[in-house]
Amino acid sequence: MPGPTIPDARTDPLLVAAYRNGDERAAAELVRRHAKALGGFLYSLGAAPEDVEDLIQESFFRAFRRLDSWRGGASFRSWLLAIGSNLLKDQVRKRKEKLVPLEDRDLQAASDPHAELAASDVEDRIRAGLAELPRLQREVFLLRAQQGSDYGDIAAILGTTPGAARVHYHQAVKRLKELVR
Amino acid sequence: MTGCGRLSDRIPAVASGTAEWMPGELQHLAECDECKSEWNLVSASRRLGQRVGENIDTEAVAGMLLRRISTNRQADRSKRRWTLGSLAAAAAVVLAVWLGGLNGPRVLAPIGNRAPMVETAIELPELDSLAPAELDSVLQRMDDPADTGSGTDQVDLGDLNADELQRVLDTWEG
Repeated sequence: MPGPTIPDARTDPLLVAAYRNGDERAAAELVRRHAKALGGFLYSLGAAPEDVEDLIQESFFRAFRRLDSWRGGASFRSWLLAIGSNLLKDQVRKRKEKLVPLEDRDLQAASDPHAELAASDVEDRIRAGLAELPRLQREVFLLRAQQGSDYGDIAAILGTTPGAARVHYHQAVKRLKELVR
Repeated sequence: MTGCGRLSDRIPAVASGTAEWMPGELQHLAECDECKSEWNLVSASRRLGQRVGENIDTEAVAGMLLRRISTNRQADRSKRRWTLGSLAAAAAVVLAVWLGGLNGPRVLAPIGNRAPMVETAIELPELDSLAPAELDSVLQRMDDPADTGSGTDQVDLGDLNADELQRVLDTWEG
């Protein structure tokens, strides 16, 4: 049985370059590094829990197929999240469905049910609030608040300016505070 | 609502663990409901993402993805081979049609400055004296393959007597 995977110290651009030269381990490392963040982002955007892994795989697949279009203007993670977001948007449009209702939430069982329930209640309200935001505000908020991306990065992948991204973020925060309060 | 945003630019960085609060910021956070509310919002949105992320088996995703990429590469390669083969076949057909379309006297391609060679009729006066039946027989034999193998009607000149041999030689000399 193989032992635990040793983390690769190479930066994302170096891993991408290695993958382009045929190093498949570099691709696996990129998945290890970003799949969880991508999954959380997609779920927060409204993806159904049972779809999250498929969406992750498809996002990475598309990303690896068009690595040439990643020019380093944004971080690899932000670029990947943008691909995932577009994929989810296409899926929702194809299925003609609304974002997943909260009742369908299917998260891991809590170790402390009471504390977990209270926390998940706030998170559920945030998720419901996010679903009511305009798409750009929702994406800017999640990239900034959840992923810690800077405004320059967000602007590069969403095709806007850092100033406009900042305005979207503050509008989203204001609206979510009202919805979650 | 006062709409205080004094810590807005710092909250995501501190929540993600890439920065820490300064003493003055901590003091403000303790006293400002707006900033506290924003801090709670950002922290909860991070937890929302993390809880889902914990359930994702990254090794399984990586394995499936690499298999898919490998399969896709093979499909791309065979598709490229098929396309090249089709192009080659199409080029061959076009070439054959183009060559077949050259009517009239068959002109061989000129080499250098040499004049093109035109296929000409070869005159055989020795055939003029033959009766139609004999001519047919000769023409029929000319159409036969050159290598007649061990045909039973093949006659060696050594088998002929002197008169027959003389007749054959007269025929050759016209």
